Amino acid sequence: MIGERAINAVGTRAVAVSREIGGITILFAQILRALLPPRLDGRELVKNLHKMGNRSVPIVALTAFFTGGLMVVQAAPFVQRLQATSLAGWAAGYAVLREVGPILIALMFSGRVGANNTAELGTMTVTEQLDGLRALAIDPIRYLIVPRVVAMMVMLVCLTCIGDLIALAGAMLVAKGVLDIEFGIMYASFVENLSPADFLHGIYKSIAFGLSIAVTSCYFGVTVRGGAVGVGRAVNAAVVAAAVSIMLLDFFLTYLNV
Amino acid sequence: MSPGAAAPLIEFREVHKAFDGKPVLRGMNLTVGKGEILFIIGTSGVGKSVTIKHLVGFLRIDTGEIWFDGKRVDQLDEKGFYAVRRRVGMVFQNATLFDSMTLAENVALPLRKHKKLRHTSALAEAMGRLEQVYLTGFSDRYPAELSDGMRTRAALARTLTMDPEVVLFDEPTTGLDPVNARRIDRLILELSRNLGVTAVVVSHDLASIFSIADRVAFLYQGRVHAVGTPAELRDSPDPIVQQFIQGQSSGPMETPGF
Repeated sequence: MIGERAINAVGTRAVAVSREIGGITILFAQILRALLPPRLDGRELVKNLHKMGNRSVPIVALTAFFTGGLMVVQAAPFVQRLQATSLAGWAAGYAVLREVGPILIALMFSGRVGANNTAELGTMTVTEQLDGLRALAIDPIRYLIVPRVVAMMVMLVCLTCIGDLIALAGAMLVAKGVLDIEFGIMYASFVENLSPADFLHGIYKSIAFGLSIAVTSCYFGVTVRGGAVGVGRAVNAAVVAAAVSIMLLDFFLTYLNV
Repeated sequence: MSPGAAAPLIEFREVHKAFDGKPVLRGMNLTVGKGEILFIIGTSGVGKSVTIKHLVGFLRIDTGEIWFDGKRVDQLDEKGFYAVRRRVGMVFQNATLFDSMTLAENVALPLRKHKKLRHTSALAEAMGRLEQVYLTGFSDRYPAELSDGMRTRAALARTLTMDPEVVLFDEPTTGLDPVNARRIDRLILELSRNLGVTAVVVSHDLASIFSIADRVAFLYQGRVHAVGTPAELRDSPDPIVQQFIQGQSSGPMETPGF
């Protein structure tokens, strides 16, 4: 029966997804437990902060600049028709700080850092390097996972702050170039219409995004089975899972208006 | 009397283990005496590696008991096994060095974690440890740049930083050229004779067995089929033992998949 087979397939898929959500939850609990007391390996933390954060600045800057600019380009017809140049800054800034900035930067971060993290942990898993750590009586969660999770959360927030600034700068430059709005007017529009709450709303989101990218990318990395093919599959799953969770978290955090 | 008969340091009692319903160990009994070099031999897939992985908690037995130094260890949780792993080191078949670190950093890691050394003093001690396994001059190389034999020796140096009472070797000479294989044998012998370390070696390298083993346990069909000194095994009238030792393709031995 085709119907029966379809129901079967849906059921199998649902069980698989549930198993992964369960696994991610367990890993999250283990990470929390390893953080009490917080004894982080300093060298691993610094290495990851540098690799995940500093080296992501160029790609984040590029994304942010064009995101800010794009908001102005989209708003341009309305601004021109209504002669509401003093609202151009509000339109771009509000969208960037609260929504597109954190989301796009998180997606770029997931693609660059999360995928890399899954591939690295996955390769370590299939080559038994994680068992090697356990054999040396070193807890892989405490030594490998926790510094990565902390580094990703800290760095995504930092990158979002940098990205916000660059996006606003991009908006000003494009406003000047496309709509011939003076920098001063855009700046005044930002100051008058945007509040710290708008900025913080985006930062809260980026904390949540950072956590979800970190935990999912680590989970899919350490649960790799089956060699190089398995690593490829895990990276794929990690990027998809991170993107889906970013969208869901964004919806609920916006809805709850934190 | 062989050393194993005196006071067993390690004891496997009626150990059963199946994977996906396929039994591998079927009531295996084995004792290891303090300070001896015990070889576990047998055909591929007979459960040699499985046996030693149980002792450090990488696998869990289905039924039976495992005792280490007068304490039952098979029921420990992951955290409980960390205490065992500090006393029982393991050198894996593919060395499991961390490929993002140099040899010195690999060896320094457990020194930093367990002896609370600072990074620079841990590196200094790591140099000395690498010297012991004849790897002077290779301390700042990465594992990928070295031969299998060198990697195995580096892994041994890393394990020895914990000052273990027992070292488990999983096929340490498999895939090595005869010269490097005999070097590994010599290191195992030095370890046992000079430091009093108990060595459990999983192997099917007949040259190693007959040069350094104190006792040999021959695993067949999930049980220890024969155990004794290398000489006793060589002179054994048992046709199955003889077939293995003489490496004959046909005989009474039943091997899966052939």
